[in-house]
Amino acid sequence: MSEIEQNQTPPSEGQEEPRIAVYTCYCGGNISEVVDCEKVAEAVSKLPNVVISRTDMSMCSDAGQALIEQDIKEHGVNRVIVGACAPSLHETTFRGAVTRAGLNPYLYHHVGIREQDSWVHHNDPEGASEKAIRLLSAGIAKSRMLEPLESIKLDAEKHALIIGGGVAGLRAALDIARRGIKASLIEKTPFIGGRMAQLETTFPVDEPAREALGGLIDRVVEHPNITIYTQAELVGLHGYVGDFHATIRQDQRGVSEDIADAAMAACEIEVPDEFNYGLTTRKVIYRAYDGCYPSTPAVDWANCPDGRLELTLDGKPVVLENRPETIDLTVGAIVVATGFDLYEPREGEYGYGILPEVITLPQFIRLLALNGDAPLEWNGRRVKNIAAIHCVGSREVDGIHEPHEDGSLNEYCSRICCSALLHTLNVVKDRYPDINVYDAYEDIRTYGRGHEDLYIKASHQAVRFLRFHNEERPTVNRENGDQPLLTLNDYLTWGEEIEVPVDLVVLAVGVKPRAIDDIISMLKISKGSDSFLAEVHPKLRPVETAVPGIVLAGTAQGPMNIQESSAAASAAAAKVSVLLGTGEVELEPFVAVVNHDLCDGTGACVEVCCYEDAIALETVTVNGAEVQRAVVTPANCVGCGVCVSACPNLAIDVQGWTLAQYEAMIDAIVGELPTLEAAR
Amino acid sequence: MTAGSTAKPKILILATLSGGYAGADSVGQLHVDYPSNVYVLPVVCPAMFPEDFYLRAFKRGIDAIIVMYSGTDCPYKGGAERTAEIINRVYPIMKEEGIDTRRLRLAAICTVCTRPYLKEVNNMHDLLEEIGLVSGELQAALNESPA
Repeated sequence: MSEIEQNQTPPSEGQEEPRIAVYTCYCGGNISEVVDCEKVAEAVSKLPNVVISRTDMSMCSDAGQALIEQDIKEHGVNRVIVGACAPSLHETTFRGAVTRAGLNPYLYHHVGIREQDSWVHHNDPEGASEKAIRLLSAGIAKSRMLEPLESIKLDAEKHALIIGGGVAGLRAALDIARRGIKASLIEKTPFIGGRMAQLETTFPVDEPAREALGGLIDRVVEHPNITIYTQAELVGLHGYVGDFHATIRQDQRGVSEDIADAAMAACEIEVPDEFNYGLTTRKVIYRAYDGCYPSTPAVDWANCPDGRLELTLDGKPVVLENRPETIDLTVGAIVVATGFDLYEPREGEYGYGILPEVITLPQFIRLLALNGDAPLEWNGRRVKNIAAIHCVGSREVDGIHEPHEDGSLNEYCSRICCSALLHTLNVVKDRYPDINVYDAYEDIRTYGRGHEDLYIKASHQAVRFLRFHNEERPTVNRENGDQPLLTLNDYLTWGEEIEVPVDLVVLAVGVKPRAIDDIISMLKISKGSDSFLAEVHPKLRPVETAVPGIVLAGTAQGPMNIQESSAAASAAAAKVSVLLGTGEVELEPFVAVVNHDLCDGTGACVEVCCYEDAIALETVTVNGAEVQRAVVTPANCVGCGVCVSACPNLAIDVQGWTLAQYEAMIDAIVGELPTLEAAR
Repeated sequence: MTAGSTAKPKILILATLSGGYAGADSVGQLHVDYPSNVYVLPVVCPAMFPEDFYLRAFKRGIDAIIVMYSGTDCPYKGGAERTAEIINRVYPIMKEEGIDTRRLRLAAICTVCTRPYLKEVNNMHDLLEEIGLVSGELQAALNESPA
């Protein structure tokens, strides 16, 4: 491998002259088979301030990194550039190398010449080499302007807030607590456990759902680091990572254990029971289910007239009233585990809301649970034929499906419904072998480990599969006779029209994002185009939001099964634990900085900034006069740079990504090629 | 590398780290070829660039700019809206300067949007084949301006 060293002029007085080392990586041939790395290295060696330009077979190897360290120590290199694979892969590797050699890590700059050059210009090696020179030249131009930066260090409260008491929130709370960090879990409803409590068994292993959930709840409840607040909601938040101040509003439970049973008996107001998806009713003093936690019943204040409940206990009138409490918590990080909502089919969609025989899969699961081993009856009739329809409210296509009220379509796959439906149909066939089951699908996506077995088992149990095309969706009508009729063109039999009279139609409804705009607004996090919460990067930072210290767990982020929700929650907990474990938070220094020599206090930056307390006008003294100037609170700044473009005086920049650096990079890209200059 | 290579049109892509830049890496992982006159610079959020930034880039010799932002998936509050507002303000200025507005594109590109990425790049490449270098337009505008 080649090396080119040049002597440069000594640094000017008072300012360290950049001494740049550039390394062009062969990447074991991945780059060098297309890009002429030697020519590239020679070309960039001609550029001002470049004191070393080398090539190497593999810069990320121990030897490659040692080379960088050696050059820094022996040749006074104070800026390092590696042209190699994507920065997402090895930028931190090389930052580590320069740090070990005593150089500030932010004086390293990475240039991607593999994914964005050699791998996409196989047929144009000359162009690829020119591009590598220009990209590296741009990197050198930026490197000259780099300044040492210090990461932002903040004291961190070793305490996390978890919003949501479903399986993801519980899992995250427990994992955080086990690492010695306090966890406060707030749950909007009176009982923890979320939707998993409504399942009887889970796929693919047919495990009793409440048993598994109960074990998790027990461990959460018993853990000394965890505090649970039920009937509690986040109503205010300010602060930043390490030091968030959350305001929680908690409703009163309404009844104490000693009068609970008498109060429940005395209560006369009944409402549809959401635990059974409206199949049954419950009182407004209630327990969600046997064995729920907390076991003390709660008053459903929303369904009490005027938020109060009048009872007669032991012949005496008693008035129960809600007096919500406000709880202030200081936490270092926040886990958003707010869960999902279920798609509610439109009236008439496959007969839903018109034909009583048409119910949703979650309702059917509860029906089976309530029914136990008794013969299955619905709507006064013994059930002998069941039809199930996949993808209801999922994978909606413009032009085929009618948009929802807000104009949106649920274009995504809800992921859990295929396996959940097949699992449930297998339960039906196990329990009622004589019931005929018809499964109408467009596609079956049993994508998880062991999930395909559900399909195989259903096939072996004589579930009859019927395949429709998206543009020819099945219909469910009651025409002649008293049974609903499922009609579709079945493409497993080459488009033959099939009519099946059935007693029950089960719609495998999808999941949809929960309406939590108030929480989103308080947390300043973002939604994706599907309206689920958005992570920073779906692959490399899959549970982090753009707001430092706020992470996502479970289905608030998109459709997930219990296994995936638990995995995401554990990932979120790991992020929180790493963040808060030492009691000190370290953030990247790429935040806005204000040049007070240029700032004249227009406030344009404050106006456009969407992050609370990130930038504000403060009174400062300049030349003896009190003036308004913009001041950034680094911990609250996400470094988006919205303020940069808003400033009429160009007084703001984002450290490490300044406008001047971009302009210098552009100048380098359009400039003369160094080798051409040398050849003249 | 030839002397003439400096006259090739240059397409600058300003690509968000959370979207277009990772999308460009995804295209690389597929090993799909596209023209080599495309230069991608990573940005946190393109809302940082004021209108003048684009004009300056054109005047320096960038022949086309594609801003690959994250659209509605932008992880930064207000970032997508602000970017779109700025770009919309750049177009009339480009017209005033005699620059074909098709040289500036705003496109939502995600981390795995390989086909949309290639479509944007190839379409812009084809457009530059048709309309040529930006320097020609700037010179023509200069010639037409009153002395």
